[in-house]
Amino acid sequence: MDNHNLKTIVKLEDIHKAYGDVEVLKGITMEVTEGEVVVLVGPSGTGKSTLLRCINQLTIPDRGRVWLEEIELTDHKTDIDAARRHIGMVFQDFNLFNHLTALGNVTLGLTRVLGMHKEEAHQKAMQELERVGLEDKWMNYPGQLSGGQKQRVAIARSLAMDPVVMLFDEPTSALDPELIGEVLLVMKDLALGGMTMVCVTHEIGFAREVASRIVFMEHGVIAESGTPEKMLKNPDLPRTKQFLGKISDLH
Amino acid sequence: MDVLIILVPYILRGLKITLSVTAVALSSGLIFGCILAILRVYGGKWLSRAITVYTTVIRALPHILLLLIIYFMIARVIDLTPFWAGSLALAIISSAYQAEIIRGAIQSVPTGQMIAARSIGMSQFRAIWHVVLPQAFRHAIPPWSNEAAIVIKDSSLVYVLGVPEILRQAQYYSARTYQPFLAYITVAVIYFMLTFLTNRGLDALERRVHIPA
Repeated sequence: MDNHNLKTIVKLEDIHKAYGDVEVLKGITMEVTEGEVVVLVGPSGTGKSTLLRCINQLTIPDRGRVWLEEIELTDHKTDIDAARRHIGMVFQDFNLFNHLTALGNVTLGLTRVLGMHKEEAHQKAMQELERVGLEDKWMNYPGQLSGGQKQRVAIARSLAMDPVVMLFDEPTSALDPELIGEVLLVMKDLALGGMTMVCVTHEIGFAREVASRIVFMEHGVIAESGTPEKMLKNPDLPRTKQFLGKISDLH
Repeated sequence: MDVLIILVPYILRGLKITLSVTAVALSSGLIFGCILAILRVYGGKWLSRAITVYTTVIRALPHILLLLIIYFMIARVIDLTPFWAGSLALAIISSAYQAEIIRGAIQSVPTGQMIAARSIGMSQFRAIWHVVLPQAFRHAIPPWSNEAAIVIKDSSLVYVLGVPEILRQAQYYSARTYQPFLAYITVAVIYFMLTFLTNRGLDALERRVHIPA
């Protein structure tokens, strides 16, 4: 793909992160351009989720720099709360606000972060719920939704903020197998609609269909990356082939 | 019948003071307790330790002893009426218990709630206010109801500072009429009703704000 005219949305430069003696990230450098869908794969404990959290600074890297478009997020002068509005994040365990309805979950950021008026926020929130196919569940509390529905509300909550990039941290790992499809469908729609996305997922079908790039991480470094075509059919490293082969069999 | 007609004004006067002392102690204790709980959880290591010392010491001492100590400490610094000094002393005592109740409730809210709130761009303060506390308060209602009952009963302690709350009024009455039994039983019934109604009210509140699942 010719990316020369496309804007860089996320740039990571030499990211290091250790927890105690365990060095989880050992120098990750990566760029994500506008409209790209990057799928991060790798064995558990290789720092994929940590890397994702370094992008929106929920985890502060020990070393290295992170940019969102032209803003350096690792700069102490940057207002990180303001920057996070533009970075959507979807979690493995949904993290919907338990005391709020589906509508309330989507509205909260609009009114309390963006300062939107209530009626305008409701309208926008209903549009986002419609986008994930849950407009008729707007009055349900998280406890009254299935896992798949919860995750779709969580996606709507992030989308409502009009993010420039969406981060997905194993969005389907906590779901029953029959509920994974509905979440992947929403994610595919987003990807095809041109949303810039970074996804930690082992859903190889999703990666094959919509990823611009698969990044294989192991032991805190990027072992290899490339198009799904190359990575799934003939990667450079035997280890990549072995790992992707294994997770392809599973799905 | 005559004894009752004499008793009523005593009781009413005392009840007014008992209710005022309780209201001041519980509400100031709640505000102070909330601030302590939030700082205890989010305020960093040293602040958290200092608050732990505060709540541990207060919870380890008899309330009447604390009341006297705090009263004489307050009386040295500012000139307050015994009513205000006593109410504030009870508020300080209650704040230690309420801080622990609210701290526990805050910590029972899953950490993912805070993370999700921060991820949509909320400041930590807003996340605490709009996401963590609304859930924590719901968890806190049952133990708080218990604390409210204790503060209602503790309001009688301001008696030792000469504040004419309901128990002291009953004593005045019995000194005048030699009818201690009637006076004290009436006061007992009133304390029971106050505690009972408060707990019932809080039960109703708990059901009303219950999150459907």
